[in-house]
Amino acid sequence: MLLPESMSRIVIVGTKTHMDEAIEAIYAVKAIHLIDHTVDADEGFSLGTPRPYSPKASERLLKVRAMEKDLGVTATTATGVIPEEEIKSQISSDSVELVEDEVMLVLDKRNDLNQRITELNATKKNLELLSKIDVDLELYSGYRSIVAMVGTVDEDPTSALQGCEVFFSPEKKGDNVVAVFAKVEDKDSVLSTLSECGFSEIAVPPIEGSALNALAKVERDLAACEADLENVSKDIEALLEKHKDFLKASEEELSIEVQKGEIPLRIANSDYTFVIDAWVPTAKVELVKNELETKVEGTYVEVVEEKRGRTIHEAEEQEERFQTVPSKLSNGQCVKEFEYCTKLVSVPKYQEIDPTILIAIFLPMFFGLMVGDVGYAIPFIILGAYGLKVTHHKDWRAIATVLFFGGIWAFIFGFFFFGECLGMHFCSSSHMVEGIEQSWEMVLGVELSPIFEGIVPYGTGIGKLFHVGFLLKLSVYIGIAHLAIGRVCSMYNATIQHGFKEAFKEKGGWVFGFAGMVLICYAIAMILVMGQSFEPNLIPLALGAVFVIIEIAMNFKHEGIQAILELPGIIGNVLSYTRLAAIGMSKAGMALAFNYIALDMVLNMLGGTESIVAIIVAVLLFSFLHLVIWTLAILSAGLHSLRLQMVELMNIFFDGGGTEYNPLKIKRNKTISNAKATKEV
Amino acid sequence: MVLEGDVGAGLIAIGAGLAVGLTGLGTGMAEKDIGAAAVGAITEDLSLFGKAMIFMVLPETIVIFGLVIAILGIFVM
Repeated sequence: MLLPESMSRIVIVGTKTHMDEAIEAIYAVKAIHLIDHTVDADEGFSLGTPRPYSPKASERLLKVRAMEKDLGVTATTATGVIPEEEIKSQISSDSVELVEDEVMLVLDKRNDLNQRITELNATKKNLELLSKIDVDLELYSGYRSIVAMVGTVDEDPTSALQGCEVFFSPEKKGDNVVAVFAKVEDKDSVLSTLSECGFSEIAVPPIEGSALNALAKVERDLAACEADLENVSKDIEALLEKHKDFLKASEEELSIEVQKGEIPLRIANSDYTFVIDAWVPTAKVELVKNELETKVEGTYVEVVEEKRGRTIHEAEEQEERFQTVPSKLSNGQCVKEFEYCTKLVSVPKYQEIDPTILIAIFLPMFFGLMVGDVGYAIPFIILGAYGLKVTHHKDWRAIATVLFFGGIWAFIFGFFFFGECLGMHFCSSSHMVEGIEQSWEMVLGVELSPIFEGIVPYGTGIGKLFHVGFLLKLSVYIGIAHLAIGRVCSMYNATIQHGFKEAFKEKGGWVFGFAGMVLICYAIAMILVMGQSFEPNLIPLALGAVFVIIEIAMNFKHEGIQAILELPGIIGNVLSYTRLAAIGMSKAGMALAFNYIALDMVLNMLGGTESIVAIIVAVLLFSFLHLVIWTLAILSAGLHSLRLQMVELMNIFFDGGGTEYNPLKIKRNKTISNAKATKEV
Repeated sequence: MVLEGDVGAGLIAIGAGLAVGLTGLGTGMAEKDIGAAAVGAITEDLSLFGKAMIFMVLPETIVIFGLVIAILGIFVM
């Protein structure tokens, strides 16, 4: 559970005539993590070429994806499931091409219409401008000695154009239109005068008659085209409905074919044989060997490394491509949900502890300690359980897992430790803030003390705002324990990687440093904060100093001045755990203020408990304000407890940077495999 | 003007406020730059989210230290 699963390296050798069967078998065992062959790694072997069916499948896949894009089939489009055999026979009977013909016909029509609408819109815009000048459209051309120029100008050019016929239409909102009829020989000078006025020419369409009539015709054409486009859009929607199941299923099936067809590109090939290097979990080696050798004729599986050890030098002795072993994290069903948090930082290396189990224990526990309230815990548990039931998305599942288990811890701490619900203790006690703080006994008017007597500390529970010193101390002790676990893991990692002697040299010093600094700070805190005398604290102080000296002596040689500079960081890390108390306090403070506002100020202002309106308003306000705290709890408690794992704990021992175990297997969502289909029948 | 009440308690309260306030400012200033860089990095590559978050929350410890000092000031001294 602590280390990634033990892996073995195998070599699969077979004849090329049975390659397709071998590929099928490799996918079927779902345990083979392929090691990519590198060019010139082995003499006489080279990278292969895709299987003969692969290019056709790739071409069809491209067509299917293009159609999906054009028809608007997205990843979220709900589609049915088609059996593997059926979709395969459809694809082989050229259904992709037939559907493509059908779809392209409609799409071409849509493209033509879109182009026509664009052209008509441009003509319409020109005609709208031309209609402002009362000149028929055919009169702008057909002269030998006169040239006509029409366009928009920023200012009136009439005064600057002598000897020309000028029509000018001033507009209030820019786009003044001008039409100038000039002699051919004056064209250049007229153009230069016009350009000074910001002239921009309008193309006159080859239409006869007035611009207004032409504009009306263009508008009629445009309306007709838009109506056609609407019909075509309906056709496209009908096509989408008709073919979406086929498109999604064929995309999945073709992707699988392409994936399988490209396997030869990743393995070593000679003229007649293929060789596959792969990692397999040690527990499955025999199974893989039997499956492949019995199912595929002419195939032999050789186990090269029965079990790869965890030492670093063992890996370094290997060829480069065999050095990195994929990490297959071996966690149970519940703990597995927390792997997401580990992978947020990095995938553990094969040679190190997988911190997921520690995260699974401490993340919800810290979350629960920070929330520590029955009233907030119950919605967390319900929301988390609902999330785990309905969602399959890994991000949401990770959040739901933390909420569910965190909620359980929050309930445990809230009920048995703090004795608190929605920021109020169940039982009244002397440490409550007089006149402001209330308890459920006071609010409900019933006596709850006999129930909680003996269950919760002090009979009323720990006051987050009262037993502050105790909570701070508790946080620090939790921090010390948590970090000590981290130190142990760090020693363990170094031991399995280099042996105990090396591990002690490398990490042992820091174990002493950690213990030394904790003892020194304990003694100092006792003297300065708790006001104890010097004598009883002399032993921890002296012992701590000795440990620190040992740490410096051990680490100074290979770490230099860092051996001293990093010592205060140890205390920084421990004090960082005081956030466990601080976040709880901040929430308790907010809850205290909100309870006072809702159940005291507002209730009394509106007429006290005799008024129904006052009670309703107070309850609504109470619910809303606590919803705010509850939402903030997800962010603050969730993020801070995650941070304590990722920064404080994992920084001590976790390197990461491993490769995730990714066996070759087929995942079907839109198609049902033959085996499953037969079973279902 | 005559000061009423316990001046020592008032000074402790001011000290506690300064401890939390100034460390909060420090944390904010540190997180401002880290946050901007982190968002940039995540935009480039979403898989960096975890690492970016670790860097992002590192300076939070400063304000926790301030809070500890404030709590010690108010409740213990």
